[in-house]
Amino acid sequence: MSDTKTLMRFTGVGGQGVLLAGEIFAAAKIKSGGHGLKTATYTSQVRGGPTVVDIQLDDEEIYYPYANDGEIGFMLSVAEMSYVLFKDGVQPGGTIVVDPNLVHPTDADRKKWKIYEIPIITIAKEEVGNVITQSVVALAIANTMMNAIDKTTLIDTMLSKVPAKVHEVNKIAYELGEKYAKEAMANG
Amino acid sequence: MATREIISTGNELAAIAAVDAGCMFFGGYPLTPSSEVMHVVSDLLPAVGGVAIQMEDEIGGICAVIGAAMVGQRALTATSGPGMSLKAEQLGLAQMAEVPLVCVNVMRGGPSTGLPTRVSQGDILQSKNPSHGDYKSITFCAGNLAECYTEVVRAFNTADRFMQPVIVLLDETIGHMHGKAILPTVEDVKAGIVPRKQFDGPAEEYFPYQCEHDEPAVLNKMYTGYRYHFTGLHHDKNGFPTEEIETCRKLIQRLEDKVALHEDELESYEEFMMDDAEIMIVAYGSVSLAAKEAIRHLRAEGIKAGLFRPITIWPSPAKKIKEYTDKIEKVVVVELNIGQFHSEVQRAAARLDIDGLFKVNGRALSPHEIVAKVKEL
Repeated sequence: MSDTKTLMRFTGVGGQGVLLAGEIFAAAKIKSGGHGLKTATYTSQVRGGPTVVDIQLDDEEIYYPYANDGEIGFMLSVAEMSYVLFKDGVQPGGTIVVDPNLVHPTDADRKKWKIYEIPIITIAKEEVGNVITQSVVALAIANTMMNAIDKTTLIDTMLSKVPAKVHEVNKIAYELGEKYAKEAMANG
Repeated sequence: MATREIISTGNELAAIAAVDAGCMFFGGYPLTPSSEVMHVVSDLLPAVGGVAIQMEDEIGGICAVIGAAMVGQRALTATSGPGMSLKAEQLGLAQMAEVPLVCVNVMRGGPSTGLPTRVSQGDILQSKNPSHGDYKSITFCAGNLAECYTEVVRAFNTADRFMQPVIVLLDETIGHMHGKAILPTVEDVKAGIVPRKQFDGPAEEYFPYQCEHDEPAVLNKMYTGYRYHFTGLHHDKNGFPTEEIETCRKLIQRLEDKVALHEDELESYEEFMMDDAEIMIVAYGSVSLAAKEAIRHLRAEGIKAGLFRPITIWPSPAKKIKEYTDKIEKVVVVELNIGQFHSEVQRAAARLDIDGLFKVNGRALSPHEIVAKVKEL
C-alpha cells in the first residue's frame, strides 16, 4: 500500500445513507487535486441488508477499488451484523467508531482496535432533529479522527450533494459530529 | 485533445456517453446492477428531445430499441446477465436483419438470477454468441471509469459502421465504483460521430441487402420513401425470405466477413508494463485494476510482471496475444469466471499450458491473490 493512502470503511444496513458519505469523501479528495474512490457492496436485500462502503484517498492514482483486508485505518459502524462481518478488515491498532446503541464490540475487539462509542443515530435524531443527517455526522467524525481532508472543502462538497433546503441542518450535523469526535478522542 | 473531468460511477458515465454520442432512445427494464444506466438516461434523454421507456420486460426493451433503430435513431438498452438471456432472441434478429444498436451489460453473478448485487465476469462467452446461428459479435469491455464513457461512444459509432448490435460489458464493480474520470469533451465526441450510410438514389434502385461480400447492409430510415422487407428469415436483396442456395450462403458468410475481414478497425487493448515483462497477466474489466495494483507490488519486489488487457473482447486481439505468448513463457489469465477468456487465450496462443486464476463467489479478486498466484508460476 502506498504511504500516502487513507483507507476508511463505513458499514451499516441498506437505506441508512452510508453510501453518500463515501461519495462526498471521494469527491472532496479529487477536488483537492488528489485521487478518491468509493466502492460499495451490498446484498440483494437492499433495505436492511449489510452494506459496506470502502473509501480510498490517495495522492497517487488508485487502481484497485476495494480496501484490502487488514489495511483499513478507520471504520465506522452503525449496525451489529455489518460490524461483525466487516471488522476484520481493520488493521490491528486501527480506529473503529460504533453507535453503542446498535453495535456491541467484544472485549477482544477492544484490545485489538481503538474503539470509540458515539451515539451517531441519537445525535442525528435528537440533537440535529433529522435522522437522515446521520451520514453527515459520520462524515464529520471520520474526518476529524483521520484528518483526511480540509474541513472547508469537505463541507462545501457535502453541501453540493444535498438539497439547499437542508444545508443548515447538515452544517449543524457536521459541527456536532466534529464536537463528539473531539470529545471521544480527548476521553481516549 | 481537450479533456474534462467528471466524478461519477461507471453506470452513470455509460448513460452520459450514450446521450453525448447522439443516442435518442432507450428501451429497457431495470435490472441490478445496471439500473442506474436506465435511471440516468431517463433524466437526460427527455431534456434533448429523446425518449426513454420502461417496457414490460427485457424482451420488450430490446424490441423497442430495434424499432427506434429502424427509423434511424441511435438506440440503447442496458441490462445484466439475466436480461441478456431474455434479449438473446432479439439480438439474433438484429444480427440477421442488420440493425445497429448498443446493449450495455453490467455483469453480475450467474447463471440464472445468481448473485444480483455481486461482481462477476460470467457473460464473456454469452456475449460472443448470445443467440443461435452464425454471426460475428462485437463486444467491448470497460476496464476503468473513463472507458465506461469512451467505449459506449465507440460502440455507437461501431454499430452504425457495421450495422449490428454492439455489446459493452461493464461489471458490478466498475458500474458502481465512484471516482474521477478524464473524458473527451462533448464537442469532440459529437465531431467524431459518423452517421450510418444511407442510399440516396431512386427508390426503385434501393436494395438494402445487396452489398459487397464484406460490407454491411444499407438500411435507410423507415418512412423516408424507401421500402424494404424486414425479417429474421434468410432473405434476398430486398429483404424478402428466400431459400435460394447461393443467396443463403452469401448472406451468412457476409455477416461473418463484414466483421472478420475488418478486425483491424475494431482491435483495442492496453499494454501495462509489458515492455520488459517476463510474466504476462491477461485481465479485463475490474479485475485489470487489481492486476495493475498487483504488478506494482510485484515490480517493487523485482518480479517483471506486465498486464495485457483486451478492450475489444470480441473479436479478440488474438494476433497480439500470440505475439506475446510466443515469447513469454509464463502467462496467467485472471478472471471472475471459470476460464471463459482463458480458453480464448489458449486458442490464440495455440498453447494448453496457459495458467489461470479464477473466482466465482461474487467477490472481487484482490491484488494479493494475484501476487500469490504469480509467485507460484
